Amino acid sequence: MARARAEQHPATGTTMVVMVGLGMAFLLFMSFLNVVKSGNILSEANLLFAALVFYAGAGALYLGFGVTGTDSYIKFASLMTWAGLLANTGAVAHRWYEAGHPPFASIYEMLLSFVWTLAALTLIAEKRYGVKVIGTVTMPVAIVGVILMQLLPSDVRPLVPALQSTWLHVHVTLAMLAYAACALSFALAMMFLIQDRVKTEMFLAATSIFTVGIYAAVLTRFERWGGLNVIAWDTGNKSEVFISRGVRLFVTIPDLGWLMLLVFVAVAAPLVLYILARVKKNSGFLAVADRAVFISILLQSLALVFFLLRVRDGQYPSLDAEGLYATSLAASPFILAALVGGIFANLLYLLLLWRRADLERLLPDADALDRITYKTICIAFPLLTLMIAAGAYWANRAWGSYWNWDPKETWAAITWLVYALYLHLRITRGWRGRRAAYFAILGFAVVMFTFFGVTYLLRGLHAYA
Amino acid sequence: MTSPFRSSWHTTWQTLSSIKTGVVLIISVVIFSAAGTIILQRPMTDPDDMTRAYSPAMLRFLDVTGLTDIFHTRWFIALMILVSLSIVAASVQRFPNAWRYFARPYKSPDESFRKVLPTQAQIPLANNDNDEEQGLSAAERAFRHMGLKAERIVRTDSFSLFSERNRISEMAVYIVHASLLLIFLGFIVDSVYGWRAFLVLSPGTASNQVETKDGSKRTIPFSIRCDGTGEETYADGSPKRWWSKLAVVDGGREVSRKEIVVNDPLVYHGLRFYQATYGRTGKLDQLILNATPANGKATPQEISLAMSQTVALDVDTSVQLAEFIPDFVVQDGRVYARSNDVTNPAVHLIVTSKKAKGSVSVNVWLPQMPGIDENASSPYTFDPKDLKTGLYTGLQVSHEPGQWAVWAGVVLMGIGLTFVFYVVHMRFWVVPVVDARGRTALWIGGTANRNRDAFELKFKNVVEQIQKELKRELAASVEAPATISGTTISGTTISRTTISGTTIAGSVSPATEEVYGTRKS
Repeated sequence: MARARAEQHPATGTTMVVMVGLGMAFLLFMSFLNVVKSGNILSEANLLFAALVFYAGAGALYLGFGVTGTDSYIKFASLMTWAGLLANTGAVAHRWYEAGHPPFASIYEMLLSFVWTLAALTLIAEKRYGVKVIGTVTMPVAIVGVILMQLLPSDVRPLVPALQSTWLHVHVTLAMLAYAACALSFALAMMFLIQDRVKTEMFLAATSIFTVGIYAAVLTRFERWGGLNVIAWDTGNKSEVFISRGVRLFVTIPDLGWLMLLVFVAVAAPLVLYILARVKKNSGFLAVADRAVFISILLQSLALVFFLLRVRDGQYPSLDAEGLYATSLAASPFILAALVGGIFANLLYLLLLWRRADLERLLPDADALDRITYKTICIAFPLLTLMIAAGAYWANRAWGSYWNWDPKETWAAITWLVYALYLHLRITRGWRGRRAAYFAILGFAVVMFTFFGVTYLLRGLHAYA
Repeated sequence: MTSPFRSSWHTTWQTLSSIKTGVVLIISVVIFSAAGTIILQRPMTDPDDMTRAYSPAMLRFLDVTGLTDIFHTRWFIALMILVSLSIVAASVQRFPNAWRYFARPYKSPDESFRKVLPTQAQIPLANNDNDEEQGLSAAERAFRHMGLKAERIVRTDSFSLFSERNRISEMAVYIVHASLLLIFLGFIVDSVYGWRAFLVLSPGTASNQVETKDGSKRTIPFSIRCDGTGEETYADGSPKRWWSKLAVVDGGREVSRKEIVVNDPLVYHGLRFYQATYGRTGKLDQLILNATPANGKATPQEISLAMSQTVALDVDTSVQLAEFIPDFVVQDGRVYARSNDVTNPAVHLIVTSKKAKGSVSVNVWLPQMPGIDENASSPYTFDPKDLKTGLYTGLQVSHEPGQWAVWAGVVLMGIGLTFVFYVVHMRFWVVPVVDARGRTALWIGGTANRNRDAFELKFKNVVEQIQKELKRELAASVEAPATISGTTISGTTISRTTISGTTIAGSVSPATEEVYGTRKS
């Protein structure tokens, strides 16, 4: 059966598996190098590495299901997720023991807890609600999370005075639970859209816009003569290099800019073809667009590999200062996450393109998904409320004011308002189905911005995370 | 009675209370708040950074529109007030209906209600005179068995059973809205009557003057005395704990004493004192030097200098500490202070010698500053031994009279949200009816205000329980047929009907089989 299916898409199907396999192997090898370097066998890094292997295995199996349509893959994927969660729990416990406080104090520790919660919720959604393929969406997120953790400074740092409060744990636990519930509602809303017969080319447009956005953002760092600017990294101190207060030093990696520009063109092509198809009402363009997606994935993987290689080694010149400076993957975790995220988004699109019928068969019906999405938000919203309240109470004890209009606070309030809008529109205006699903997706986008975007783009009191 | 004033008031009210207005207002709050996190805000941002980030024209525009301090501009506050008004209007408009629903529950369903209720079932009863009563008492027992209280409703033309749970859930939304208003109220009270200030104290000093954000002084009705301050660090040098021993002196008497740390403030008379910063003042407390005559004829002597203090070195020579720069940098032949941290200190001494023609002053710099110092012509050379700088503790002072409203609002919101999402108001009715075939039946209906899937299961359980009770009653009546006025019935001849009037023709089925009607709304 698997063979027969593979033969339907002889070139693409097999190439996909090989490509995903190679990508995984490469990333695992990179992490493995770190493990060997640390020397300690039964360490947190190794447990995390094990978690990564299992999560990656689970993710690959979910994707493998997508490519070959073999149902039993899902069962093994679920087992892999269990194993990954076990290793992840070990890493959390180890961290907790070593640091003497629950792992919430830095962005690294937050990610550790977030990935754990996400994996746990995935299994709950699978066992309790029967949403079997939820891992197709959540596992890639977990993998990106663990890979990011390999790059972020992970040494146990003692808590600075402001963080020495029980409210830290209350606040962050609530935040993690709320954000994980939001992530789940996002995945469910996406599945709803599939079950609600949203046309496959709409997903093409969505993933293309997402990827074009990613590369457009990366290209804001484009420098003359085709270089790409990344933040310089002080490996000794594990910190960014500042030339003056608040001004980071950038180094320019030659030629990488041209590659990014090329990939930008490649990821823009499907979008252009989609628009052409819409304007000229000719679906022939769409078939070309699907091929273009495939090519763009190859180029994106190439860009990722080159980015990894160039950023890891070498000294680069800077426009702002004389001399050569080192950089590190840890200096640009978001470029890395964006590149990996773009590849995953496109792979998920191909999965949908090739296996839509299987997905539709496996997923609960649209009505049920709509209801479960709503229920997840009904869980997320009170958690968000309590998280903000706990944060305000803590801020009042630490900074003398319960509300400072700090960017993180403001964005937490914005997230709350967006979900409040969702609830009002759903309850009083009867927004169901697609509109509600779009709103759930928007809500999660805001959550992601609050979690990552605010930390790295907007400065404020929440310097720790 | 439709005067123009009245109708325009009516229109305003309608607009304000509509969900559309609410949505538009919330979206505006979202947009402006987001803008407030992206546009650099005063006074947190350095004025220099502001001018560097924006062109002068742009900055003027941002300042005039208040976009550089969005969260404190009048129009943002006006927007928040509009949101509050919209919540009030929406709640007030919808409240009477909900209140009627809450205060006068619908207990005796009429025929049209029974027809359209989505979740319902019918259990036919044996045809005899007393079965209506028996059916209801069986239902009553079933409810009691399931932990629900049932109420007999007797009307002139009907009698029935009504049971409900968690009626308060209907009010939950209003609890949440009220809590939000309470939070807003606290917030507004704080932004009008509250203030924040800063108080810097060195150990041993006391003050009742605090400095507000705009730089003005404010006198508080009591003094705070600092009895000590300090820092504990981890092995790697990062700070572990900052503490200050504070005492409150009110009316010349010490009334309170507390060692505060970050996260644990001192509270007195509605004022809160937080440990905010700690450090070295950068001001010199004491400088200890070895002074050696330049001609080498005398032994070095140790002298101790405070700021501006003059000490005699011999009969004709004296030295004065003129300047202390904690972190110096030399630029264009002048010495500047880069920061207040004592990382790279420099001292400026003035050595004055009495000569026949009058006194001669020489500028001595430690360390040497080529081109600036005149160390070479000084009669003494100086060798720094030790310097002691002052400690200070920085206290954040805040007065937030509205915060109790905020916390009350938060607690209330927690309760309200729990009711909104997790407490279900469920209602059950049991009415004896005559079915399409002219037989007596027990009509059972139920409804819940949320989580309908779970409710349907519960409803099914209720119906099954009633059936069980009826069966038991039937069994009892079979044993003693005399009580059922002559008619003998066997347990297998009970026919079933579905909702919406359709009868499954001639279905003679075991008593456990039941048809449930559920219409999705």
